[in-house]
Amino acid sequence: MTAIRVRINGSEVADDLPPRLSLADFLRERRNLTGTHLGCEHGVCGACTVLVDGEPVRSCLTLAVACDERAVETIEGFGGDPVMAALRRTFHQNHALQCGFCTPAMLITARDLILRRRAGSEGEIRDGLAGNLCRCTGYTNIVTAIAEAAKEIGKEAPNAQ
Amino acid sequence: MKAPAVDYMRPRTLTEAVDLLAHASVEARVIAGGQSLLAMMNLRLASPGLLIDIARLPELLTVADDADAVTLGACVTHAAIEDGRVADPSHGLMPRIAATLGYRAIRTRGTIGGSLALSDPAAEWPAVLAALDAEVILYGSSGRRSLKCSEFTTGIFQTKLADNEIIERARVPKLSADARCGYVKLCRKSGEFADALAVVVADPRRGYWRVVCGAANGAPLVLGDTSRLVVEGPRDPDALRSAIGSDLDHASDRHFDDFHRNLHIVAAMRAVQQVLA
Amino acid sequence: MPNDQYGVGASLLRKEDERHLHGRGQFVPDIKLPGTMDVAFVRSPHAHARIRSISVPPAVRSHVFTAADLPRIKPIRITSHATGTKAPGWPPLATDKARYVGEAIAACIAPSRGEAEDLANAVAVDFEVLDAVVDAPRDMHGSRHLIHEQWGDNLYVERVIEGGDIEAAARAAEITVSRQFRMQRQSGAPLEGRAVLACRDHRLDEVVVYSSTQTPHTLRVALGEFLDIEARRIRVVAPDVGGGFGPKARLYPEEIILAALALQLDHPVRWVEDRGEHLLTAAHTRDHHYKVTAYADRQGRILGVDAEIVVDAGAYGLWPQGPYQEAAMAARNLPGPYKIANYRARHYTVATNKAPLGPYRGVGRPGACFAIERIVDEVARAVGRDPVEVRAENMVRSDAMPFTTVGGMRLDNGDYPESVRLCADLLDLSGIRTRQQKGEADGRLVGIGFAAFAEQTAHGAAEFVARGAAIIPGFESCTARILPDGSVVLMVGIQSHGQGLETTLSQIAAHELGIDPARISVRHGDTESTAFGFGTFASRSMVMSGGAVARASRMLRDKLCRIGAHLLQCDPAQVRCADGAVLGPQGSVSIAEIANVAHLRMDGLPPGVDPLLDATATYEPAIGTGVFSYATHGAVVAVDPETGFIELLDFAVAEDCGTMVNPMIVEGQIRGGVVQGIGTALYEEIPYDEAGQPLTGTLADYLLPGAAELPAIKIVHLHTPAAATEYGMKGMGEGGAVAPPAAIANAVRDALASIGAEVNETPITPRRVLAAIRKAQTGRRGG
Repeated sequence: MTAIRVRINGSEVADDLPPRLSLADFLRERRNLTGTHLGCEHGVCGACTVLVDGEPVRSCLTLAVACDERAVETIEGFGGDPVMAALRRTFHQNHALQCGFCTPAMLITARDLILRRRAGSEGEIRDGLAGNLCRCTGYTNIVTAIAEAAKEIGKEAPNAQ
Repeated sequence: MKAPAVDYMRPRTLTEAVDLLAHASVEARVIAGGQSLLAMMNLRLASPGLLIDIARLPELLTVADDADAVTLGACVTHAAIEDGRVADPSHGLMPRIAATLGYRAIRTRGTIGGSLALSDPAAEWPAVLAALDAEVILYGSSGRRSLKCSEFTTGIFQTKLADNEIIERARVPKLSADARCGYVKLCRKSGEFADALAVVVADPRRGYWRVVCGAANGAPLVLGDTSRLVVEGPRDPDALRSAIGSDLDHASDRHFDDFHRNLHIVAAMRAVQQVLA
Repeated sequence: MPNDQYGVGASLLRKEDERHLHGRGQFVPDIKLPGTMDVAFVRSPHAHARIRSISVPPAVRSHVFTAADLPRIKPIRITSHATGTKAPGWPPLATDKARYVGEAIAACIAPSRGEAEDLANAVAVDFEVLDAVVDAPRDMHGSRHLIHEQWGDNLYVERVIEGGDIEAAARAAEITVSRQFRMQRQSGAPLEGRAVLACRDHRLDEVVVYSSTQTPHTLRVALGEFLDIEARRIRVVAPDVGGGFGPKARLYPEEIILAALALQLDHPVRWVEDRGEHLLTAAHTRDHHYKVTAYADRQGRILGVDAEIVVDAGAYGLWPQGPYQEAAMAARNLPGPYKIANYRARHYTVATNKAPLGPYRGVGRPGACFAIERIVDEVARAVGRDPVEVRAENMVRSDAMPFTTVGGMRLDNGDYPESVRLCADLLDLSGIRTRQQKGEADGRLVGIGFAAFAEQTAHGAAEFVARGAAIIPGFESCTARILPDGSVVLMVGIQSHGQGLETTLSQIAAHELGIDPARISVRHGDTESTAFGFGTFASRSMVMSGGAVARASRMLRDKLCRIGAHLLQCDPAQVRCADGAVLGPQGSVSIAEIANVAHLRMDGLPPGVDPLLDATATYEPAIGTGVFSYATHGAVVAVDPETGFIELLDFAVAEDCGTMVNPMIVEGQIRGGVVQGIGTALYEEIPYDEAGQPLTGTLADYLLPGAAELPAIKIVHLHTPAAATEYGMKGMGEGGAVAPPAAIANAVRDALASIGAEVNETPITPRRVLAAIRKAQTGRRGG
């Protein structure tokens, strides 16, 4: 067992873990944060995407013990985040989710695309979503929702150039 | 699947890491980004007894930008290269390639050193670094040594890395201002491993030309005849195609089926055309 | 009174979204019960092997369960009412033989999944490896080996469908076109795999089984049957389900085993499959072989079709319906939306040493559509005419409907040729032709292709009886309940796993009751709280469940009007429901007030009217043979003749599903289905080697389409309401997946027309494209 301290959605957490435990399983089984989903556990489907120190990672390919002293953000967080709020709204308005299984990771990836200014065109958005599979929607509405949110955020924060 | 049981240590210095590696009583492996190693452990294709986490070692995160080369610490991530957060010796070639490697969430953790150490035949960095004539610096209990990247990878998942060595840095010579590069990655789905990969670097000012095939059933393949042909700047596509085919057929350590042989020829042709155009 | 904002026809935003956008969905693996142990299975590494012995380390013997350790489990048996079908008993944990790679042999339990897998690795099974049957057309008569020894061959069933006089058509034909087609085996691959959590509830004396299933009520029937427990002592809950698409509409051995473990061990047990298990053992799908000959006149009018269809159905039949539907559906749908008068289709459903075959969006139709739409294109090319025109000319016209095709499909209404025209317009057919003449600067070849189909939906009892089905999913149910405060609950037997039924069913109730859907909850997926229903599959939910909701709502509406009229002191004929109230000639009374009377102030009820506002209704469609939505799909591709790589440049759908309750959700279903069809067309397959080993084990080799590979999917609608369903609805959930393989194959054919290359197999991979090009070039050189 290895002791770790990690910040999850803004709160400090201390735990003692078997090293084999993935970040995904740590979040889901030990912290009861089940919004992060497992679809493949080999890094392809993207359903497990969370943020570690502000960057998207595959929580299925990240050891929990390797996140010692790191900050993790999951879909259950992003409380006051304006980009996430915009995306939640545009996803809803554009019917960009069906079963909901890919949705948390899709939102986190989309938010990262917008923040890195990689959501300027349909092609760019589609490329940016390559690592997030959806089996229900056919992606069209997801792309529309992200483009809309990006435009909205761009308008609201022109000085963020 | 879930990974098998394993122990974990996170040394504070490179020397400590090498020490742990040398004295481990079980099978020990270093882990940086873990994007390949953990995928294999999740599939139970790898079951080391000890993981030595080197991802945060300051010695492996350094970036040195000197007159004729950029030296990247082994744990520099693909995302850092993609974003241009580290000095670029390749006039955009490396960031451009980094951006097509896997997916962003993989790139934020995966490292250039990790890619070299694993030397997946379809991986980008071994081929690109061979094309750029880069060197890899290894650190072990007996000290440092340097190898050409083009000689470091010897086969499929096979390198000259000794059991008690860790990749410390990759030293990449800077391209001249007027150097030209070509890069073609053929794959059906964005982010997946390549079916064929070709990198061409033409830097006449330094007297340097190289054509490399990746995803080539073994170590990255330097196409000698083709490289020489590129120097002469031919305009005859048949001569080029023939040279590529001849280089592929002369690679005695591997075999291509017709489909892949054809793909490699096409990739190399198109990459060369990017340079000659 | 219809309400444009939230009734039938409104693109109401979904209620389901809120929880998912915040990561508060509740999928089976998200449910935590104290004391839960995780399960991992010991699975056969061999496709066909006798199990000689199973050795378990003594220290962990109590944590490993073989068939002998769970004696209450009975083998799964399918009761088919069709003559000549064979149904092997299937022990959920293999006893004497393993018949496919991945078949479960033992269950291991531990505090975590990782530890359960450690245990599974410690179990040693001694096998006598046998030769595997992997080639369905070659091995169907059992000349090499038998999978089920008592059968004498490897056929679940064989049949012939005939209509008209195919020999006469062959004699009269001026053009004869023959081809072979192949749709490779694939996985349904919902993003959430299967999962089961089972526990005992001592207070209610039940075993509770949470399962990621599309069919909770029939799962309860199965558990009762194969564990010998009364249904009243079983509760099945399908909470949030992360995609189903058909593979989760069948009983799995793991569901029975987990329930049996919960009963025996008296602590909760959980199994969450991983992707490898899913690719290996969840229902495999598609896997069709076709030999088709079309007879036509010089105009391209198709006189007759003669076909042989082989479906590779794997080692066992999936309960309840078995594997019999797939080939029969393919045979009945092969004539497509065409007025072909002469037909013969022999179809064979073959047992092989592969995972069992199950239904997947479209079931037999994508294969049939692939075959007939490719043949139509080849007939057109043989007579030197545009496939778009030949297709439209062969179609059944709306004035000829209802029209029963030679395959037995009673096409109800619709303008099929118009869908072809609209689809061609959407893709700018003439613009593409111009582009093709110009050529591409990068040397790629552009092509455009079309495929049409009619989809039988919401078929009722008569249809299933004709198929010899074991159970007859000919109705759906709804209990509609208004609570004391006037809020509404709809309890339905279907299960929504992405189709937005929590929203659309509330729209129907809102339509009938005049109550805002925001005050209506839909409860589904739980046998505890809903009347019996069959679940969500076969594009049936809106018509069937929606019909039941409509009927139950109208029963409530009538009672509300009676009570409301009494409170307003007027005649019931003078009142109506609207805006959350009962409106009379001089005033109104709110639903909340009426509900209060019906529950808490029964002294206000009119004489002869009982308390409560509770109504249960069932719905069966008036036409048992189904209502037919239809569509034409079109694809534009760019083929790289040097590498065989294909880029999908554009994709369009011109479709008609009658009245759309929620157009936004309908379009979502179309697009989702289309992308799955594109997956079938270009990416997805599970190849097997001669030893019966599947060659794809992860998503790195089983490729699923991602956003970067796809264009935006364009849609245009026609509107031909069904004659005899509520509001004129037709089912449409599966249609999107039916035509893309055919449309894309036809587009590739068009792109490579100058070379004469055809790819008649899915997925259309670069290897297959290059092989087709090489074959065409060799042929032309007279080789």
